Amino acid sequence: MTNAAQIATTLGWAALVAYALSAILYTTSLFRTHPAIGRAATAFAIVGALSNFGTLYARSVALHTVPYRDLLGSMKLFGFFLAVLNIVLELRHRDRSLGPFLMPAALAFLLLSVSLTSPVHADAPELKGPVFALHVTLNMLAYAAFAVACALSLLYLWVGRSLKKRAFSGPASRLPSLSYLERANRTSLSLGVLALSIGLFLGLFWASRMWKGEHPLWALDPKIWFALATLAFYIFVLVRARRGAAPVSTARLSVAGFLLVLLSYTAVNLFVSKLHDFTS
Amino acid sequence: MNLLFVGWDHRAAPLDLRERLAFTPEEAREALDGLFAEHILSEGAIVSTCNRAEVYGIAAREDSLDALTGFFSRFHSVDDTVLRQTALSGRGDATARHLFRVAAGLDSMVVGEAQILGQIREAHRLATAAGTIRTVTNRLFMSALECGKRVRAETALGQKPTSVAGLALGLAARIFESLKGRKVLLIGAGETAELTARLLADDGVSEILVTNRSHEKGEALAAANRGRAVRWEDRARAAAGVDLVLSATNATEPVLTAGALRTALHAAPRRGPLLVLDLAVPRDVETEVGELSDVYRYDLDALQEMADINARARASEIPRAEAIVEECVLKFQEWRSGLLQADVVRSLREKLESIRRVELEKHAGKLAALSAPDRAAVERLTETLVAHILHDPTVGLKEGDGSERLERAAAVRALFRLDESTK
Repeated sequence: MTNAAQIATTLGWAALVAYALSAILYTTSLFRTHPAIGRAATAFAIVGALSNFGTLYARSVALHTVPYRDLLGSMKLFGFFLAVLNIVLELRHRDRSLGPFLMPAALAFLLLSVSLTSPVHADAPELKGPVFALHVTLNMLAYAAFAVACALSLLYLWVGRSLKKRAFSGPASRLPSLSYLERANRTSLSLGVLALSIGLFLGLFWASRMWKGEHPLWALDPKIWFALATLAFYIFVLVRARRGAAPVSTARLSVAGFLLVLLSYTAVNLFVSKLHDFTS
Repeated sequence: MNLLFVGWDHRAAPLDLRERLAFTPEEAREALDGLFAEHILSEGAIVSTCNRAEVYGIAAREDSLDALTGFFSRFHSVDDTVLRQTALSGRGDATARHLFRVAAGLDSMVVGEAQILGQIREAHRLATAAGTIRTVTNRLFMSALECGKRVRAETALGQKPTSVAGLALGLAARIFESLKGRKVLLIGAGETAELTARLLADDGVSEILVTNRSHEKGEALAAANRGRAVRWEDRARAAAGVDLVLSATNATEPVLTAGALRTALHAAPRRGPLLVLDLAVPRDVETEVGELSDVYRYDLDALQEMADINARARASEIPRAEAIVEECVLKFQEWRSGLLQADVVRSLREKLESIRRVELEKHAGKLAALSAPDRAAVERLTETLVAHILHDPTVGLKEGDGSERLERAAAVRALFRLDESTK
C-alpha cells in the first residue's frame, strides 16, 4: 500500500469516528437542549468533513484520478456531501435540526465505504478527464441534495403530524417551523435537479465520446434510463411544488424520490447496469 | 446603612387599592422628593406597575418603615390602617431578595413575564434623574436587572407563553418562522379581533383582511389597522388565500366550514401551511377543518392545553430561577459587606487618628522641649502604633463569608463605639 493510500485509510477512520460522535451528539441534542452538546456535534461534523475530504484527496493522489470512480469511493463522496450540506444549512440558518438525520446517514455511507474498501489501483486513462470527474461529482451532489430534501420532508411530516395531534412538547416542538422546512425542501430539490441535469448531460457527452467504439449500445444501459426517470420525477415534484401543491404531498413525493435514488444507487448499479456496476 | 423596602402587590393588595397607589412618573418624582425632604430615606427609587407599587431605599432614621407607610397614606389619601394591613416590607438582604425575585418575574401574576424588567429599568432611570439613586440603590437596581436577565437566559421561565396572544404567536412561530410578511384574515370585528389586529400589526404582518357580518364594522376595523375588508360571503375564499385565519365572532353556528374551505383551497392552490385559530365560544370553525391537508386548526381548548403544558414547564423552572436569585443575593450581600468593611476601617482609622492627635496636643508642651528630629521620631512612632493597631482589624474584617463579615463589622463598630464617635 502506498503512503497516500495509507493516509486515505487513516483519515477515513478518523472521519468515521468524528461522524459517529457527531451523530450521537446531534441525536442527544434533540432531547437535551444544553448548548454545549449542539456545539460539540457541529465541531465533530466539521472535523469529520475535513477528514472525509482528506481521505478523498489522499485517494485521488493514490489513484491519479477522481477518488470516487467506484461505488465505495462514491459513497465516501456522498457521505462528505451530506456532512457539508448539514454544516452549510446549520451555519446559514442557525439551526441544528437536520443533524440528527443527516449525520447518521453520512456515517452509514462512510462506514460502508471504509469497512468494505478494496486496495486502490490505477484506472483506465479515459476515467481521468475533467468531464468524467464533474459528471460523477455533480451526480453525487444531486443525490446528497435529494437526501437532504428527504430528511427535510421527513421532518416536515413529523412536525406537521405533531401539530395536528396537538403535541405541544417533546422533541418535535424543538424542530424548525413548517414554513422553513418547506422552503428548504424546495431549495434542496432545486439544487438536486440542477446538479443532476448537468451531471447527466456531462455523463452522456462523455459516454458518447468514449464508449462509441467499445460499447455501441451504451445509451441503452438501464442505469442511464433509471437516472433520467429519477430526474423527470424530481422535475415533476419541483414544478408541482412551485405551482402551489400542498407541502405535505411534496414532502411525501420527496421521500419517494429518494427511495428511487437509493434504488438507482444500489440495486441498479450492482445488479442491472453493465456499464455502471463499478466492480471492475 | 439600612436597606429596606415597602410595597403593595397583587397578592396582598386588592386591585382598587393598587389603582390608588399607582404612581405616574411625575408623582413618583414628587414622592421621592418628599421622602428626602422629610428625612425618611437617604437613597430611594419607586417601582410602580399595574401589579405593584413599591419603594426601595436606605433608611435615614430608625422608624423609616413606619414613616414610609404614613407618607404614602398622606400622599395617596389612603387609610393608614389599610396600608399597614396590606403592606409587604423587609430590611437588608430581604430587600435585595424581593427586588431580584420581582425582576426575575417570580413575583409576577404571570410567572416569568418579561415586561417587569423594563419597568424596573424605568424606575431606575426615573430615580437617577431625580437624583435619589446613590451607591447602594444603584447597585441594587443594576444587580436586579442583571439577575432578571440571567434568569431569562438560563431558564425557560420566560420562554413559554400562557396568554392567548402569546400562545397564538407561539403556534404561529412553529408553523411560520415569523409573522412578518404574512397575510391574516380576521373573522369578526369584536374586541378580541380588534386587540389581535393591533398585535398582528405590531408583529409586521403584510396584510390584514377583515370579514364581518356587518360589513361597515369590518371596514372600520380594517381601516384602523391599514387592512382591507372582505365581504362576509367571500370569507372561505379569503381564508384560502392567507397564512393565518383568526376567528372570534358571537355566532352560534360555525362560520367557516370544512366543505367551503376545501372547495376554496382546490380553486386557488396555495403555497405553505394555513393556521386557523378559533377563539370563539361557541366555536366558529368546524373541527373537520383541522383534517384538511396542511391546515392546522386550534380552538380555545387546544390553547388551554398548551397553556397548561407551558405553565407546568414554567413551574418546573422555578427552582432553578430561585437558585439564580439566591446567587444574585449572595453576590449583592458580598458587595455590601465589602462596602461596610471599608466604612468600618475608615471610621476606625479616623477615630484612632483623632485620639493620636488629641494625645499629641495634650503633650505638646513636653514635646516642645525635644529637638526637631526627636519630635519627628515621636510623630512617626505614634503613626506606626496606629497603623499596627489597625492592621489586624482591617485583615479580620475581610475574612469569612458575607454574613460573617457583616457580623465582624457590627462587632468592631460596637466595641470601638464608632457610631457614637461619628455622630
